[in-house]
This record gives sequence, C-alpha cells and structure tokens, in this order.
Amino acid sequence: MRRSTAAAVGTLTGAALILGVRLSVQPQAVPVNAAADGAIAEEPEIDEASGSTAEPEATGEAKKPAGKSGNSGGAENSGDAEKEETGLKAGTYKGKAVQNSYGTMQVTIKVSGGKITAANSSYPTDGFSGTINPNAVKTLNAATLAAQSAEVDAVSGATFTSQSYVTSLQSALDKAGA
Amino acid sequence: MRHVEEVMGTVVSIELADDLPEDRLSALIASTCAWLHEVDARFSTYQDDSEVCRFRRGEIPLDDCSDDMRHVLNRCADLWRETGGYFDAYAGGPLDPSGYVKGWSVEVASQRLAEAGSTRHYIGAGGDIRMRGLGPGGRPWRVGVRHPWEADKLAWVLAVTDGAVATSGTYERGAHVWNPVAGAPAKGLRSVTVTGPDLSIADAYATAALAMGVTGLSWLAKRSGDGYESAAVTDDGRAFTSPGLPIAP
Repeated sequence: MRRSTAAAVGTLTGAALILGVRLSVQPQAVPVNAAADGAIAEEPEIDEASGSTAEPEATGEAKKPAGKSGNSGGAENSGDAEKEETGLKAGTYKGKAVQNSYGTMQVTIKVSGGKITAANSSYPTDGFSGTINPNAVKTLNAATLAAQSAEVDAVSGATFTSQSYVTSLQSALDKAGA
Repeated sequence: MRHVEEVMGTVVSIELADDLPEDRLSALIASTCAWLHEVDARFSTYQDDSEVCRFRRGEIPLDDCSDDMRHVLNRCADLWRETGGYFDAYAGGPLDPSGYVKGWSVEVASQRLAEAGSTRHYIGAGGDIRMRGLGPGGRPWRVGVRHPWEADKLAWVLAVTDGAVATSGTYERGAHVWNPVAGAPAKGLRSVTVTGPDLSIADAYATAALAMGVTGLSWLAKRSGDGYESAAVTDDGRAFTSPGLPIAP
C-alpha cells in the first residue's frame, strides 16, 4: 500500500513538473530532471496495461512530499523551475489528466504575481477506501478481514456445485428454514 | 415458502416471503423451477443436444437460434467489451456462456415472479442472489458474504431490498479461475462481491474483476457510478469495500 501511495505521489509530482515546464518560457533550458520525471508520470499507464504494479524510480524522492494532498510538495518542486522564469501568467491551470491503475489524477496550480501560489491534485473520488489518497491508508489498515457469524437470510459466495453445496452455509440455512 | 432445486449444475434456493395462499406460492415456485430447467436444457454445455452445443458444432446458424440464445450471445459480447476482455465466454476455448446464463436466468426468474404477483422473494443460484421487496419480518433481506477462507464464517453482512449480490472467488474452484487477457490463472484477489440492480451484470463484473487481479479493485471502483458496489478480498487477506456498499446496520 505504501508503495502505491508513493507511486501516486510520484505521479503527481511528475505531473506538476510537466506543468511547470510547459508554462516556462520556451527557449529556456528544460531542467534535466523534469524530463526524467515526465517519463515517470507516464509509467503507471504502462503498468495498467500489463497489470503489474512496478514502482516508479522516483519513489524515495517522492516520499518527501507525501503530506496531506501534496500541495506543499508540488509547489516546492515546481518552484525550482519557476525561479528561472518571469513570465508566468496569472490564472489557474490544470495539468494533463494522468491515468494510472488507481484512477485519474490531475494537478491544478494557481499562479499569481508570476509565482505558483498553490498546487492541488484531484484524486479519484469514487475509489475504494485505501487505494489512493494518503489519508485513506489508515482506513485500509483498519479494514482487516473480519470473520463473523450472524443471522442471515442467504449467503453469497463463489459458485458452488451441487456436490459442494452440501457443505455450504447456504445449505445449512436452507435446512434450518425448511 | 422455501424451496431448494438442483439445476444448472448447482443448487438454487428460493424463498417467497409474500403473503399469498400456499397453493399460489407452490405454483410460483414450480413455474420458476420450470424456467430454470428450460434454461439448463438450452444452455447446458454438458448436454450434447442443447442449443448451445448444437450452435457450437455449427449445426444451427445464428439467425436460426432462439431469442434467448441470441440475447445471451449479444450480452456476452457487450460484457466482453465493457470489461476489457476479462469477461470472456470463450475463455476456455469453445463458447461457454454459463458465466452469464446463471445470473441472467435468475434475473429473468425474479422478473417473472414479480409479474406473476410475487413482490417479496429471493432466488439464490450457487451463491449468486437476486432479491425483491422486503424479506421476512418486513425488513430488508440480510445477505452474508462468505468469508473467503472460513467456509462457515461471513466477511460481511449486507442489507438488500431490491437488487442482486454476486460473488466470484478462487476458493471454490481453486486456481481454475482464468485470466483470459493474460492467458494465465487469475491471481491477486481471493474473492469479489458485487451488488447492484441486475444479477447478470453484477455476476459478470465480479467474474471480470477476479480475473483482473488487484487492478480489478480500481476497475470496480468505477462501477459505483452505475449502481454497482463491491467488496473484495486480496490473496493476502486485505479487505476493500466501495463507499456505497449496503452493509447491514
């Protein structure tokens, strides 16, 4: 789980940096690491296709801004690229929506006075608790599988055959209700 | 009134909670069972003379197939597309729509019961259940989700009035759940339960997500928007539920 959180944050950081680069004045040198991070941002897309969960290389570095929503981290990282430029136009900018195996994430930044004043990221809101945002990690940890016995009318389970029905809870219920 | 019927290679449990005369309830159960046997005769892959086997052998062209057969084939194709190929009636080689037929036949059975006057019932076929109206005692039906390791325990209890609960798991058929996209046994998820309005869809979604493995979790999360909620357990025992899952209070 921690790994996927790191991957998500890595993606966000990457997306924020891509955005930073895009906003920068054209002829200026693209920061070397921005290009590398750009590649990382794409990586989860590949992961999804193959169904694996490879870890982005930037994990270690990405862990740093693993704060609540990554806004301080995002702003901080973009700051380096921003220093060299003067022409940031005021406004709110949305980054490219990046699809990874946890859903779509999109970074939004606000620019005023030629500086990035806020960076935010949208997480999938329809997600499973625990799969994506750092807050939900706690929820996930709490969601250990419980085994309970309770009075029920029916039992849902993997399809049983006529033979294995005999040993199923549904069969016990049917007997009890007959 | 309760009834247990062996059909389609599994056992179907039926309960009618309607306040109707005994003979009326018996007749409703009898017609439900007749329909399920009709489906079995048409779609069984074990009976050489079933329509599905004859279609498979090329003995009847698609145009001459029954309406039910064409409906099932169309829906299998739709679901194949919708699930990115993870729900695949051809996963095992020749056409085998059983994974769709069971849920669909129960869905139709429940509709027919409703049309015939039963507004409170459940039909459970091999672990996949369709409920309608309120259960006994005038409260929602309580559906236990089997614990994926302890056969006599439940992982969740759901409260459902109108809707379906379908579960797919690797515990019943071992590692024989196939990932048709990778061409390998499915791994990563131990069990997936999907709730929603239509049992045939809930069942197909549960099957597809199980085949996807852990990426199935995020795929399932996106189904919430259409009214399909879910609960899943990974091979290493982590439990996931979508926010709208109807967990019993």
